[in-house]
Amino acid sequence: MNIHDKKPLILVDNISKYYGSFKALDSVRFTVKAGERVAVAGPSGSGKSSLLNSLAGVIHPEKGQVLVDGNDLAKLQSRKEMCRLVGIIHQQYDLVPQLPVIHNVLAGNLGRWGLFNSLLSLVWPRDRRQVQDILGELGIADKIDDLTSKLSGGEQQRVAIARMMIQSPQLVLADEPVASLDPARAEEGLKLITDLTIDSNKTLVITLHSPHLISAYCSRVIGLREGKLIFDLPTSEVDEHHFHQLYDIGH
Amino acid sequence: MSKFVSTVMHSSKTIRHISFAKGSLYLFVIFIIVSWCFIFLPGDSGFVDLFRLETWIHVKIFILKLAGVESELTPAFFQVDRWIATSKLAYRTLAMSVLAMAIAGTGAFLTMVLAARNVSNGDLGGVPSRFGMVMYYLVRANYIVSRAVPELVWAMIIVFFLSPGLLPGALALGLHNIGIVGRLTAEVIENLDPASSVSLRSAGASNSQILIYGIMPQAIPHFITYLLYRWEVVIRTTVVVGFVSAGGLGREFILRLNWFHYTDVTLILIWYLLMVIGVDLLSTWLRKVVDVD
Amino acid sequence: MKFQSVVITRHRGLLLLLLGVFAWSLCSVNWSGPIIHTGGSSSFLKLWLSLFPPDLSPDFLWIASKATWTTFTFAVMGIVLAISLGLPMGVIASGILFERSSSNRVPIIIVFRGLLGGMRAVHELVWAVVLVVAIGLSPVAGIISLGIPYAGILGRIYAELLQGTPRAPIDALKQTGASPLKILFYGYIPYLLPDMLSYTFYRFECSIRASAILSFIGIQGLGYQIQLSLHDLLFDQVWTLLLFLIILIVLVDLWSTRVRRSLLA
Repeated sequence: MNIHDKKPLILVDNISKYYGSFKALDSVRFTVKAGERVAVAGPSGSGKSSLLNSLAGVIHPEKGQVLVDGNDLAKLQSRKEMCRLVGIIHQQYDLVPQLPVIHNVLAGNLGRWGLFNSLLSLVWPRDRRQVQDILGELGIADKIDDLTSKLSGGEQQRVAIARMMIQSPQLVLADEPVASLDPARAEEGLKLITDLTIDSNKTLVITLHSPHLISAYCSRVIGLREGKLIFDLPTSEVDEHHFHQLYDIGH
Repeated sequence: MSKFVSTVMHSSKTIRHISFAKGSLYLFVIFIIVSWCFIFLPGDSGFVDLFRLETWIHVKIFILKLAGVESELTPAFFQVDRWIATSKLAYRTLAMSVLAMAIAGTGAFLTMVLAARNVSNGDLGGVPSRFGMVMYYLVRANYIVSRAVPELVWAMIIVFFLSPGLLPGALALGLHNIGIVGRLTAEVIENLDPASSVSLRSAGASNSQILIYGIMPQAIPHFITYLLYRWEVVIRTTVVVGFVSAGGLGREFILRLNWFHYTDVTLILIWYLLMVIGVDLLSTWLRKVVDVD
Repeated sequence: MKFQSVVITRHRGLLLLLLGVFAWSLCSVNWSGPIIHTGGSSSFLKLWLSLFPPDLSPDFLWIASKATWTTFTFAVMGIVLAISLGLPMGVIASGILFERSSSNRVPIIIVFRGLLGGMRAVHELVWAVVLVVAIGLSPVAGIISLGIPYAGILGRIYAELLQGTPRAPIDALKQTGASPLKILFYGYIPYLLPDMLSYTFYRFECSIRASAILSFIGIQGLGYQIQLSLHDLLFDQVWTLLLFLIILIVLVDLWSTRVRRSLLA
C-alpha cells in the first residue's frame, strides 16, 4: 500500500495559540500521514515549540483543533490514550536528575502501570532486562544504574530516547533534539531518533535548523515564521531560497 | 584617592534600592530605645549589679564550685562510676532527640506535599482542585502553630496528660519541628522546575505517579538535609526539654543543681557539650553524603 | 548478572539506616509504665474544651499584653547584645583584618571560632539557669543568657559571610592603600549588608521564641504567665497566652520575611 493512500494520522486544523496578546501560532493548517518524517523549521520565536507542544497535547490552541488518529487532543480525557498516541522529547530532555537512569527509562511505562506497580518498581525495578537491551542498542548499557544528573548531554538524550522507546507512542515528537549537541553527536542522535521510528513504522515530527540534517533524515519540511506556516513541501522540493525566506531578517 | 571613592560608590549601590528595609531598620532602632527604657530605667533590672564587686566574687565562687576546687570531696568528673551513670543519661537523651526527629520527619513527610502551593492548586499539570487549596491552607496553618509554640511550652502542656519520661519531651520537640521541616521542604517543592513533571505527564503519568517519580526524588534530598540540620538544634533543646519532661540529662541537671552537687553539674555540662559536638559532626557528615547523591 | 551500582545501594542503605535508627529510638521509651497520666485523658479533654472560648476578660487581656510586650523587649535587647558581641567576634574570627601571611592569623581564627562555637553550643535556657545561680534572678540575667548563644550564632554566620565575599572589589580597595578596618567598613559591609541584615532579622524571630522560654525561669513574660496558668489548671488562660504568642511570632515572621525579601531583591 502506497504511503499516499493512507488517511492522515495528524490533522492540524487552523490552530491559533495566544499567550496573552502574543500570537504564537497563527492559523496553522497541515496534515501528516502515518509513517512520515516531518521537520519543522524556522527562526527562534516562530512557534515551533508551541506547535510541537500542541501536537503533544501539552498545550491546547485557543482556536482550531489538533486531531491525532481521529482524537481531538483538547478533549481527550484518558491519559492512557494520550500517551499511546503521542510522546515528546523536549530540548532539555526534562528527565528527573535524582533518579537512576533505569527509573527515568521505565517512566515510559507510567501510562500503563497502576500506582502500586509504579511504586514497587522504584524499589525493585521491573523489566530490567528490557531496559538493559534498549540501553545497549543506544550504547549506554553500562549507565543503567547511574544517577541521571551525572550523564553528559548526549547520554541524557539517549535516556530520553529510551524512555520514548518504552512508551512507544504512534507519534514521536522531538523539540530541538540536537540543538545543544556538537555536530558529530547531533548526527548520531538524529540517526537514533529516526531509526526508532523507521523500525516500528511510527510517525516523526521534529524541529531542526540545519538544512543538511533535514534533507538527510526527513521526508518533508514545514516552515514556520512568526507563527504562520510559510511552506509545507517534500524535502526534495526545498531549496536555499525557502530557507532564506524563513531566516532572513526584513523579509 | 579617586579610585577609593569610586569603589565605595560602586559597593554602596547595593543598598540604595532598599526602602522597606531601611524603614524597618529605623523602626527597629526605635524599638531598641523604647525597650532599653522599659527594662533599664526602673531600678530593678540588675544592670547595676553587673558592676558590683560582690557579683563577680559570687561568679568566681560559682565557677570554683563547678570546678570542684572548693570542697574536699572528689569531684564527680574524676569518678568513673559517675561518668558511666551520666553516660547512660546522655544515651537516653540522644535517643530522645532521634525519636523527636522521627516524629518530626514522619509528620512533615506526610504533609509537605499538601503544603506546596503548586501541587495543591494543580499547577503541576493536574486539575486545579478546591479541595487541594483547602488542604493547603489547613496544613500551612498547622505548620504556623507548630512552629510558633516553643518546644518547652509544648512539653509543659504534654506533660499534663502523658507520664513524665522520654516520650513527652520527644513528642514536644517532634511536634514543633514538623512545622519547620514541613515548611522548608514545601518551599523547595514550590520552587521545583515543572519541566520534568510536564515531561512525565506526556509519558502518561497520573498525578500520583508524577508525585512519586518527579517530585519526591527532587524533594527528598532537601527533606533529609533539613531534618539533619534541625537535629543539631534539637539535641541542644533536648536537654532543656528534659527539665520539664523529666527525661535524660535535663532532669538530672536540675536535680543536681537543686542539691548543690556542682561537680555533677559540670559533668553533665561536659556530656552535653560532647553530645552537641558529636551530633554536629554526624549531621555535617551525613549531609555531605546526601548532597553528593 | 551485573552488580547494581553504588547509588542504588547507597540509597537503600540510607533508608534502612534511618528506619533502624528510628526503631531504636522508639525502643528507648519505657513502654511498660503508664503512658497516659492518671487523669491525663480528662485533662486532655479539658484542655481542648477550654479553647472555646479562651479567657478574654479585660483584666487578663491586659496581663497577656504586658507579658507579650515584656517578651518582645527582652528579645530586642537580647538580639542587640548578640549583635554587639557577635559582630566584632565574627569579624575577628573571619580573619579578614589580618594580612594573609600574618603568623597570628590562623591561631586567632581558631580561638575565636572556638569561642563562638562554645557560646552557640549551650542552649539559652542552660545559660539562664547557670546565670541565675551565679548572679541571681534579674532581667539582665535573662538578656545575657539570650545574648551569648545568639552572639555565637550570629558571629559564626557573619564570619562565614565575610570569608565568602568575592576578592575583586576587596582587592580593588586594597590597592588604594586603605587600612584593613577601612576596607571592612567600605568594602565588606556595604556588600554584605543585605545578607547580614536578612539573617539577623531571621534570628530576631527566633529570639522572640527564646525570650518566651526564658521567662519560664521567673522573669516576667509570656512563658512565666503560661507556667502560672498551667499550674492553676486555668486552661482558657493558657490558650489566650498561646494565641498572643502565636500572633506575636507570626507578625514578626511576616515583618522579617518582608524585610528579607526587600533586601535580597
